[in-house]
Amino acid sequence: MKAAESSPSAPSPAVDAAITHALFWLVAGNAMGTMIAVLLLLPGLNRLLGEWTYGRWMMVHMNTALYGWCSLPMLGFLFRTYGVERSALRLWGRPVVWLWSAALAVGCYSWLSGTSSGKLFLDWSGYARILFPLTMGALWLLLVFAFLGQRRNAEQARWRAAAAKLIGLAVLAAVPFALFYASSPDLYPAFNPDSGGPTGASQLESSLGMVLIVLVLPFGIARRLPGHARTLSLAWVLLAVEAAFCALLGRADASHRMPAQYIGLGSILLWLPLVPLYYRGFAWNCETRQWKQVFLCWWGLLVVSGWIFFLPGVLDRFKFTDGLVGHSLTAVAGFLTALLVFVMTQLIGDEHAWIFNSKWSFYAWNLGVLAYVMVMTAAGWIEGGNPGFTMAPGPLHHVLYFVRLLTGLAMLAASVEWWIAATQPFGRMRRYQTSHAGAIAA
Amino acid sequence: MRVNNITNGWRGAALVALTYIYFLIFAQFGFLARLTQAGIEGTNLRLVMGSMAAGGILLSLAVPRLRIWPQPALRLRLGFGIAAVGALAALLPPNTAGAALTAFIIGAGLGIVTVTLVTHLPQFTSTHRPILKVGFGVGLGYFVCNLPFVFEASPRQQSVLATFVCVAALALPLRAAVEESIAQPTGVQRLPFAAALGAFTALIWLDSAAFYIIQHTRQLKAETWMGSAHLWTNGCLHFAAAVAAALLLERSRTRLVLAGAYLALATACILLLDPAHALSASLLYPIGVSLYSVALVVYPSWLASAVSGDERARIAGWIYALAGWIGSALGIGMGQNLGHVPVAFVVVAGAAALALPQLELLRYRAREVALVGAVLGVAFVAHRAIDKHPAAAQLSIVEAGRRIYISEGCIHCHSQYVRPNSADVALWGPVEPIEEIRHQRPPLIGNRRQGPDLTQVGMRRSAWWLKAHLLDPAALSPGSVMPSYAVLFRDERGDQVVAYLVSLQSSTLEQQRALQRAWQPVSTPEASTEEGEQLYAQLCATCHEPHGAARQRWPQEFILMPTSLVENGLGHSYNLSLASVIKFGVPGTDMPGHEYLSDQQIASLVLWLAHNPVQPQLQR
Repeated sequence: MKAAESSPSAPSPAVDAAITHALFWLVAGNAMGTMIAVLLLLPGLNRLLGEWTYGRWMMVHMNTALYGWCSLPMLGFLFRTYGVERSALRLWGRPVVWLWSAALAVGCYSWLSGTSSGKLFLDWSGYARILFPLTMGALWLLLVFAFLGQRRNAEQARWRAAAAKLIGLAVLAAVPFALFYASSPDLYPAFNPDSGGPTGASQLESSLGMVLIVLVLPFGIARRLPGHARTLSLAWVLLAVEAAFCALLGRADASHRMPAQYIGLGSILLWLPLVPLYYRGFAWNCETRQWKQVFLCWWGLLVVSGWIFFLPGVLDRFKFTDGLVGHSLTAVAGFLTALLVFVMTQLIGDEHAWIFNSKWSFYAWNLGVLAYVMVMTAAGWIEGGNPGFTMAPGPLHHVLYFVRLLTGLAMLAASVEWWIAATQPFGRMRRYQTSHAGAIAA
Repeated sequence: MRVNNITNGWRGAALVALTYIYFLIFAQFGFLARLTQAGIEGTNLRLVMGSMAAGGILLSLAVPRLRIWPQPALRLRLGFGIAAVGALAALLPPNTAGAALTAFIIGAGLGIVTVTLVTHLPQFTSTHRPILKVGFGVGLGYFVCNLPFVFEASPRQQSVLATFVCVAALALPLRAAVEESIAQPTGVQRLPFAAALGAFTALIWLDSAAFYIIQHTRQLKAETWMGSAHLWTNGCLHFAAAVAAALLLERSRTRLVLAGAYLALATACILLLDPAHALSASLLYPIGVSLYSVALVVYPSWLASAVSGDERARIAGWIYALAGWIGSALGIGMGQNLGHVPVAFVVVAGAAALALPQLELLRYRAREVALVGAVLGVAFVAHRAIDKHPAAAQLSIVEAGRRIYISEGCIHCHSQYVRPNSADVALWGPVEPIEEIRHQRPPLIGNRRQGPDLTQVGMRRSAWWLKAHLLDPAALSPGSVMPSYAVLFRDERGDQVVAYLVSLQSSTLEQQRALQRAWQPVSTPEASTEEGEQLYAQLCATCHEPHGAARQRWPQEFILMPTSLVENGLGHSYNLSLASVIKFGVPGTDMPGHEYLSDQQIASLVLWLAHNPVQPQLQR
């Protein structure tokens, strides 16, 4: 694929801000993860934390990963897709990114102060529980105005694209409310009575949500290539069928030992070949290649391991152990990170793709994650047979956790390199300011 | 040539280091201790310190205007000479009048040395990375002062050291290394005088207040400035931060250095409000101090927007008189009168220390600031309107404890879910009905077991055991990675969380007990008395030895004093259920189970206990 064929990536302060803020949260999250890994090896250091105890830092670590690192690149994607950068409101993109980070910072402070709903990944409570959905509302308003502005300018002649964006806006409108209500201690989803974890149906539901995002992403940032219409249609039809199947499975508490649950979740394996085929239907920038390949590899590993970990016998062994911690890292640090870096590389264009393409940081990150997953799977396997392995740790446990710390340091170093590289072109930002100011004056 | 350029410049670093050693270990520390030894306190002490400040302010402002001795080298020698006289005078038995005179001499000497040195530093640092040399000098000064044998020396010894420091400075060849006009580096970010004055005053104020409070609060001092480890750590942190500050200033990151200094000092001041955080504060304090100290020394020569040497000298005079002496006096006054740095003052100090970045933020990021401010405000109003969370006072002790369990993020290490038909049932059971779990708001199932499941912990552990474990987990569970939650017991939260944990028990207790009584370890031919002895020493001795740590620490707290196995041994009737006792504890007592031990470990312990009812080895 030639660079000239790919979609043009115009520079934008809003997208740049989304990327630099996302990387900041990645570095912060990794630094906290490293600190946590050190505390597990040297628990005596906990006394340095005072009131800000280990458990409170865990909340901050997990939530900054999800709502900072994993979310902010999607703001960049939305700015590009809804044409915020070209609209009259283009100067409000960066303020929304700032607002997002500010709301997350308030969240961090509230978790460190001991304000929590007690729900994993839905820890929003008190003031932060109102602030964060309001932030999402501000983003939504910006997207709406950008969309309406473009409609007025008749830039969107294609009704299908407009309709898709409208549906997107409708879905996004529900997110702040969903987050607010889901954070309530009064609501709790269906769970697997034999494991205490999610049911197969709910895992399928969240996996299909991820598939939906994977399918939507190319439309906002890449150009479709001719000759792939069938694959694209097949993917959307399959998603609809699986969604219907998921609805049939229902939302009741159900064990992973029920064939309907593990076979149902197994249907996600169909996406193993389909996602790579789907992504071939779009023109991507040349410099995105290595991250696209690695994201597809992580996708394969995630889908297969996710299903295997749910199978009867396997889940019984790994539930509540480091094995599933490793699996979570496959999802967030492996698959999601590779996908997000791939998206960001596409957003910033080939000219700036060097930010993410340094060889050592690429390998430090991906091999670090892989080693982490392997170490934690091994630790989880041992722990599954002998809980004392973790609760009264011995030399082998210490060795595995030390290796885990080293992998964490590798990931931290890679993320620091990306962040420094991304913040270097601040001169570029100033140039935008000047040019925007000039444009406004004109 | 290049080598000469580098080595010549180290005279500047040495002068800075010597000045700092004199100021820190003697003027700010040893001399005060000497006054305390002589019983000069209260108003008299204020009078003496006022004399020192008067000498410092007077000479700081006068030096730039003096036309006699225009050569910086001569002025420096004069200043160090006066300072040496002050240090020697401090060796005499002091009375209030004599001490005030001595203090004035010390202040005057310091006023002359500091203002002259910072105005003419480029003469002594050469053109090769002068700012880095200043950073090295500042770092070295702090490092030397934190050397245990220097810091812990007697006030007289510190006075002698200060005299030697002055003599060393007088002995330095102070011929100008380079002409000042060519020593000015270009491209360094300038800082307007007003902004610098505000920032340095705020930072010195915070520094002095924190220093005074730490020095005069026994608990804080013990956590920060006592013992070799602390002092070495402080010294290294000071040095590293000073060098880092110099490197950043070389790269025009003046605002970043000041912002970093403020953040470190402000956080340290806030942490000092709670003695539990003193150790964390002690790590931040030296970083903040060294960061701004380098900027303070570097400012007149390289960061000020001065066009002439005279203007630079006047700026130095004002900065050192107002920010240095008066800021320091105000900080000490705050420490004396309030005993803490109020959070409101920390905020105000932030406005002063970060005035320039804030103005730039408002100028270049007005939309960002406006949007963030507006949404924060709307969220505040909305929160006030819809928040209906019951106040902590309205909750029962168990409900309050549950809230603390959630606040502390206990679910990240402890599950509350016993999986049916699994090994969980024997270890942490019985299974809790799903209806009961759904009744909880929210269920605290968790997803990771770094420690045991707590669904029925109230059945397995006594209130005393839970409290003792929260206070010092490793004391009762050797090797445990759980952090101490002693901080919760400084108020009612500790007892609340214990009450909550005790409440976690099922009504189907008897069924579980029968299951536990029937339990036997599987046949383990590899069990050995050696392993049993090791486990006994590790897990049991703390309560079952006459001098066991838990037994000694909590003699009044046990429901039933644990049997001293050395003195009494085990009765034969006990042997039958010994494995079960080790595994699951003794109901109704403080004896906990050791559910996580393997069958082999339990068999080894049984073997050891059953065949060695009296253990003379352990007595030894």
